[in-house]
Amino acid sequence: MAKQIYDVIVIGTGAGGGMAIKTLCEAGLKVCAINAGRRLDPEKDFRYHRMPWDMKFRGLDDPKRRGQSFGYMDNEYTKAAWDHEIPFTVAPGTKWMWPRCNAVGGKTNFWGRSSARFGDIDLRAASRDGYDVDWPVSYDEISPFYTRVEKMIGVASTVQNRPSNPDGSYLPPFNFRCLDFILEAGCNKVGVPYLPDRCAQLTQPHEGHPACHFCGECTTGCDVGAFFSTPYFLLPKAEATKNLELRTNALAKNVLVDENGHAAGVAYIDRKTKQEVEVYGRAVIVGASCIESARIMLNSKSRRWPNGIANSSGQVGRNLCDHLYGESARGYLPQLLGQPSFPDHVADSTIAWMPRWQNLKDPHAEKFIRGYSVYPDGGCSEFPWFAHDVDGFGSSFKREIKRRYPSPVSFGIQAPSLRSDTNFMDLDPEVKDPYGIPVARVHFEWDENVLKMWEHSKQVCAEVLRAAGGELEGSGQDPEIPGWSLHETGTCRMGNDPKNFVTNRFGQTHDIPNLYVCDASVFLNCTDKTTTISILAFSLRTSEHLIENFRRGEHTAA
Amino acid sequence: MAGQGIRRREVLRILGTAAAAAHFPGFSKWTFACGHIGNAALQIKPAMYRPQFFTSAEYAMVERLTDVIIPSDGTPGAKEAGVAEFIDFMVASDPEVQYGFRMGLAWLNAHAEQAEGRRFLELTPAQQIFLLEPLGFKDKMRPGEETGREFFRMLRESTVTGFYTSEIGYKELDNPALKFYAASPECPHKGDPEHAHVAQGRS
Repeated sequence: MAKQIYDVIVIGTGAGGGMAIKTLCEAGLKVCAINAGRRLDPEKDFRYHRMPWDMKFRGLDDPKRRGQSFGYMDNEYTKAAWDHEIPFTVAPGTKWMWPRCNAVGGKTNFWGRSSARFGDIDLRAASRDGYDVDWPVSYDEISPFYTRVEKMIGVASTVQNRPSNPDGSYLPPFNFRCLDFILEAGCNKVGVPYLPDRCAQLTQPHEGHPACHFCGECTTGCDVGAFFSTPYFLLPKAEATKNLELRTNALAKNVLVDENGHAAGVAYIDRKTKQEVEVYGRAVIVGASCIESARIMLNSKSRRWPNGIANSSGQVGRNLCDHLYGESARGYLPQLLGQPSFPDHVADSTIAWMPRWQNLKDPHAEKFIRGYSVYPDGGCSEFPWFAHDVDGFGSSFKREIKRRYPSPVSFGIQAPSLRSDTNFMDLDPEVKDPYGIPVARVHFEWDENVLKMWEHSKQVCAEVLRAAGGELEGSGQDPEIPGWSLHETGTCRMGNDPKNFVTNRFGQTHDIPNLYVCDASVFLNCTDKTTTISILAFSLRTSEHLIENFRRGEHTAA
Repeated sequence: MAGQGIRRREVLRILGTAAAAAHFPGFSKWTFACGHIGNAALQIKPAMYRPQFFTSAEYAMVERLTDVIIPSDGTPGAKEAGVAEFIDFMVASDPEVQYGFRMGLAWLNAHAEQAEGRRFLELTPAQQIFLLEPLGFKDKMRPGEETGREFFRMLRESTVTGFYTSEIGYKELDNPALKFYAASPECPHKGDPEHAHVAQGRS
């Protein structure tokens, strides 16, 4: 039997892979997608409409698994979705908290949904402040892709005319809650913005998807698909074309090469049979998420590519960037003490944000370069987490918890680390996963610039809280451990110079014309914005570039 | 991923103190409303709860302490919510917290004997509160009681976790979680963004 050759093999079904799969299938290309985990069954796996007392551990993870846990996302709501089998290691001195969802759809099943566009202030940051290099793509070039993605996924927000945040086409925004109006007034006094976030959550029915029902449990999975995830928004469209074969529990091991050193397919481990399987294609797209994609490429060693496939630049795995997260301030709003409870948690918190306000006109106005954004959060939540800080016990304690229930607020920073030579991933020389594949080893520390942002944010957020009439109670002692944000970027950066960049400006590797990368690993750095909508926009662009290459006969179609 | 701050903090924090059981015990008060999930096996309701970790004497102390921390005082408290059962379940197979709980209960009895010549549960409620106040209230703290304070902090965290994740705890706060809305809920105090009148109008 002649071996089957697909047009394109796509590794990964998250934002990057999912968009590629849909775009390629709709263009008539035969696609084989491989995904490291299984398909989730929303009925069984999304337990978000259960009350805590309906679950054995009240929704928390079984603490017996503490030692095996890779992160904070493990809980009873989504316990089956997070990978515990494939380890990673860290270099001495590195801390890295890194939950990974290998289920079909990846992290889009549970993501935070904040969806702001990058602007020229981000893509041309190097020209403004002299640090690192510009992106090889301008805002004018990527803007139409954002517009199409926003139409596909539905983003609720408003037109805000801010220099750091290009506006798009939006669904009606979330309504402001009491705490938003109070904090907005505080922000106005201090002179920082407080605006509706760009939230990919459907405030009205959109493109055949139902409107949100505002239960506030998005991050444990939505079983009606009222916010964007690839299993609800992209994969069904790909499957409808009959051009997709999706192989699950298929852990990509390496990219196969032909005698010319070009990509010929992918070798993967079938996690059910533990057997290695090969699948062949005329082109390969890697979209396994930043670090995993680089791991696969570094593990793709051959006579032609002794240092990993498409790695003649030596840049695969380098330039790792991440978002610094942390609680810049926390406290409560006395105005809301003793108020009736209110469903403040309806969007899991991205109702509002304080988009970057630093270094807008003068790139060196602050003690740091670039800028950060802040997500305010608070009000009545599922659990009165502040109660652990209330003094005493007895009736006064119980009353005080009830009185304070609507009033707590906190501010979470999202700040980009700068590219550096010392932040990167490589393959651990010793440790292998259960299938004998070398695991990723992370080398990472926060840089001085991002730590200055952290200090700055603590001052400003404290000021905002006080200006809003709030009581400041403190801030996080340190920022969260790196990796926490799940916004890693940079391990296969795009750029025009093949000596210094892994892919060209379309995500096509410089070394191998039929090998593409379509996730955040091609991004040059983090910005003050989240990554998912930009992964979707860049993946759409990469996919259409690949389709065009097929049309031009560069990768012969089946 | 933005927008998960509270859940993340909650989980991390609670994981710091709470723990799990080796097997699924039977509960009398902390019942699982699992009927709609369809697993009848989970709905064990023995008349008397048999502690999995604590001795019956220890368990009686835990139950009393949770009742002191979140009392029944017009609205149901920790006792009605079965918080002692929750704590027993969570401590039952978590070696990391077992010693602290057992040690703390022993400390409290020794402390009671020293102060009043009787074990903790044999004291009058007023005497019990008098002993506990320096452990639970910052402005009444006394030197030399660090072990007791640490134990009480741990027990109070577990009580808070157990109570406010119970159906009774949800009712106590009128917790709006997991309700469905046709439109995103909006501040009802239009025209007063700073909510000054809200604060003033409060009884």
